[in-house]
Amino acid sequence: METEKLFEITAYTENQVGLLSAIAGIFTRRSLNIEKLLVYPSRIAGVHKFKILTRAEESQIRAVVLQIEKKVDVIKSYYEIDNERSCREIDDVREFLEKRENDNK
Amino acid sequence: MGKMMTGSEALWCSLMAEQVKTVFGYPGGQIMPVYDTYCRFEKDIRHILVRHEQGAIHAAQGFARASGFPGVVLVTSGPGATNVVTGVADAMIDSTPVVVVAGQVPSHLLGTDAFQEIDLIGMTTPISKWSYQIRRPEDVAWAVSRAFYIARTGRPGPVVLDFTKDAQTGVVDFAPQPCRFIRSYVPDPEIPEESLQQAARMIDEAQKPFVVYGQGILLSGAEKELAAFLEKGAIPAGSTLLGLGALDSDNPHLKGMLGMHGNLAPNVMTQNCDLLIAVGMRFDDRVTGKLATYARQARIIHIDIDASEIGKLVPVDLGIVGDAKQALARLTELIAPRSNREWQMESILCTAVEKHQVIDPEIHPEEGQINPGEVVARVADHCKGQALVVTDVGQNQMLAARYSRFAQSRSFITSGGLGTMGFGLPAAIGAKIGAPDRTVVAFLGDGGLQMTFQELGTIMQEGTGVKIVLLNNNWLGNVRMWQELFFEERYSCTRMVNPDFSLIARAYGIPCRHVESREELAEAIEQMFAEEGPFLLDVHVREESMVFPMIPPGKSVDEIMLNNKDWFSYGD
Repeated sequence: METEKLFEITAYTENQVGLLSAIAGIFTRRSLNIEKLLVYPSRIAGVHKFKILTRAEESQIRAVVLQIEKKVDVIKSYYEIDNERSCREIDDVREFLEKRENDNK
Repeated sequence: MGKMMTGSEALWCSLMAEQVKTVFGYPGGQIMPVYDTYCRFEKDIRHILVRHEQGAIHAAQGFARASGFPGVVLVTSGPGATNVVTGVADAMIDSTPVVVVAGQVPSHLLGTDAFQEIDLIGMTTPISKWSYQIRRPEDVAWAVSRAFYIARTGRPGPVVLDFTKDAQTGVVDFAPQPCRFIRSYVPDPEIPEESLQQAARMIDEAQKPFVVYGQGILLSGAEKELAAFLEKGAIPAGSTLLGLGALDSDNPHLKGMLGMHGNLAPNVMTQNCDLLIAVGMRFDDRVTGKLATYARQARIIHIDIDASEIGKLVPVDLGIVGDAKQALARLTELIAPRSNREWQMESILCTAVEKHQVIDPEIHPEEGQINPGEVVARVADHCKGQALVVTDVGQNQMLAARYSRFAQSRSFITSGGLGTMGFGLPAAIGAKIGAPDRTVVAFLGDGGLQMTFQELGTIMQEGTGVKIVLLNNNWLGNVRMWQELFFEERYSCTRMVNPDFSLIARAYGIPCRHVESREELAEAIEQMFAEEGPFLLDVHVREESMVFPMIPPGKSVDEIMLNNKDWFSYGD
């Protein structure tokens, strides 16, 4: 059994109406939670960049990245395991929420 | 400079620039400007008026799969558009090139819940290859050519154009804008020579290679390349449901159909091979059965034009992203010739067991009611592989796949991935229009026919010569079969009280014959094909009919039921 890790997916895209929901739909189908989403112009003129943080098994992330790249208006998509620092941040939030849950009981 | 015209005229001119000769459609409020200008183009483009928009898109799918040319659908906004959604999803999962043009409310009303407004882009984004809203007449030429380019290249699929009414009526200086390139989209990925050489080495090293192929062979036109590859390497092969017809049914390397109701040999060989070579197929769960045990003993090569299919379900040793025709042609050059392989003989036992235990009792019964598979076999006897077979979904589909014979490509059209009941009749109409010189036979069940049988009106109006074979058992047979096998014979809501289909056929002016006895079956089939135009052959078949062999859901592909109680065992 693979373990879930936090991944950072990037996608470089054309600026087309509806692409955000097209990409979000790929996560919805697999019930993957998007932990963080940034969309902004990349350093290449006319090319937009998506940055998506999500927690999943690597095999699933690989399939997701290929399905993102399959969209006609997506230029390239990549993934990497998110750096330690933001892992800790998110773990901190999770611990905090778990503590709040327990306090609430 | 081009020519001044409205967006509606620009649409027809853009369709003509794409060599469109046929459109399947249904008018309505928000597409009326387009219909209003049609009279000026009717010499060049034939409009087929269907009876329901779902019929339009399934007909367009049948047209595309019979002809290889994108099917075109023209509908209005709101309900017209939502009625094509099932077909868009069907075309997506079955890689069918279709271009849907739907009317939309004027752009100043978008987002206001205007009459017959729906968010068609939002609805179709997850189920189409591309969807785009045309809001200005200036965008028509660009959007239409891009739509056709995307629909037919790479892994084909449906494209949806949502055409606002003001863009239809606005004026534009029109010139065609052919699309041959989209920088973010690579429809013809180059195959690294290195990976083909590695594949050839793996094939040469293998003792028991086995090819599983799908519709990718038809879509890339690789039928000859596949046959040559199998011949040179003496490699046995199995076809998916949608791959049927890519090889002649008589090809000695073809061991039959894969999957849940496929033949024993290819399913068993999947579990005994040492190298599985998958070409233009996507490892659907109806093909693989239980994934955890699927071909685990074998190394796996997967060739597909869609990179996202490689490794999606089955981990592969070598993935090759590219066109099946190119890949197979080069692989054939690279592999060592083999005169024969003992491994080919492993199919003999399976084929013999299946013939004795399943096929003969189904298609050559000695007594009792007519079996549905027997009807398919008698039609196949008559057509000798030349018919283009269209099916609905369910037992009729599996039996048509199992007992039809194919002597040419593009001879089998069915709703594979989505399993859309009601697909068969309109798809057969589209297939006949897309391939008018071919004999088109539609095998339908009484359930599926009643989902879209308003399209008999289209047959009447267009004089479409479709031969409809109704396998009528007064049940939703496939669900009834599952209830018998897996739900302890609780036949919940599957019994059908049916109309007199011959009266319905007569109302539409379609010749019909009702058959109940085996003695008159062959002669009735002769009569059906002797008639010039459409014909409905209503065959009363055995009510409790089953389809075997069957790999029950969740089982490995070599755990196969031969009938209600016996399982296939390779050791016997």
